[in-house]
Amino acid sequence: MKLARVVATVTSTINVPVFDGRKLLLCDLLDPEGADAGGYLIAVDTVGAGPGETVLLMDEGNSARQILDARDAPVRTLVVGIVDDVELAPAAGDLPPPAAAAAESPPRRARSPRRRAVR
Amino acid sequence: MQLARVIGTVVASTKSPGLEGVPLLIVQPLDRRQHPEGSPVVAADAVQMAGPGELVYMVAAREASLALAEPFVPVDHAIVGIVDAVATDGERTPGKESGPRGEREPHERPAARGKRAR
Repeated sequence: MKLARVVATVTSTINVPVFDGRKLLLCDLLDPEGADAGGYLIAVDTVGAGPGETVLLMDEGNSARQILDARDAPVRTLVVGIVDDVELAPAAGDLPPPAAAAAESPPRRARSPRRRAVR
Repeated sequence: MQLARVIGTVVASTKSPGLEGVPLLIVQPLDRRQHPEGSPVVAADAVQMAGPGELVYMVAAREASLALAEPFVPVDHAIVGIVDAVATDGERTPGKESGPRGEREPHERPAARGKRAR
């Protein structure tokens, strides 16, 4: 699955029947840090996402058709989740040396220095 | 799915079985700002209503042939919708390059679509 940000809705009246009554969202792909990764996808919305939100895209045809319950539909990409937060493990360089870490004995659920809200 | 602009038509009288009656269009894939990106490709028109100048969205790979009446045909790009607008918050980009949508009734659908023969 891919992280993406919804940037627009795509409307169309003339389309293949499977898209009738479904919302299409134009989504920019993101890297794990939340920065633009280049590239975009138009995805069928299944969760009620809107412009500006960070979402989870599923880009696989068979799963998409299963979720939409449409066996022969020309669909591959779905918005399957709205992302609240992405937490990355600290990179090797960010970790304190073992001795310092033991002396400080930080709380177990210490906030990662690289923690960052995506929205 | 990806945005693309129809830039021409292709006429082929000899085609692989199953592709008879399927319109073929030359489309230029677009990036998200609707600028050309990459080389033009030939796409099957699954809505049977797209024409030059129109902004469309298309599917690639295996899903392309699923858009057609005969779902097991050698097609790698298919147009599955004609874009009316791409709307961000508060701003709308109309699909057609210039002027309003012409002579065609937007709700009219080709009779050939609708029921599949399976």
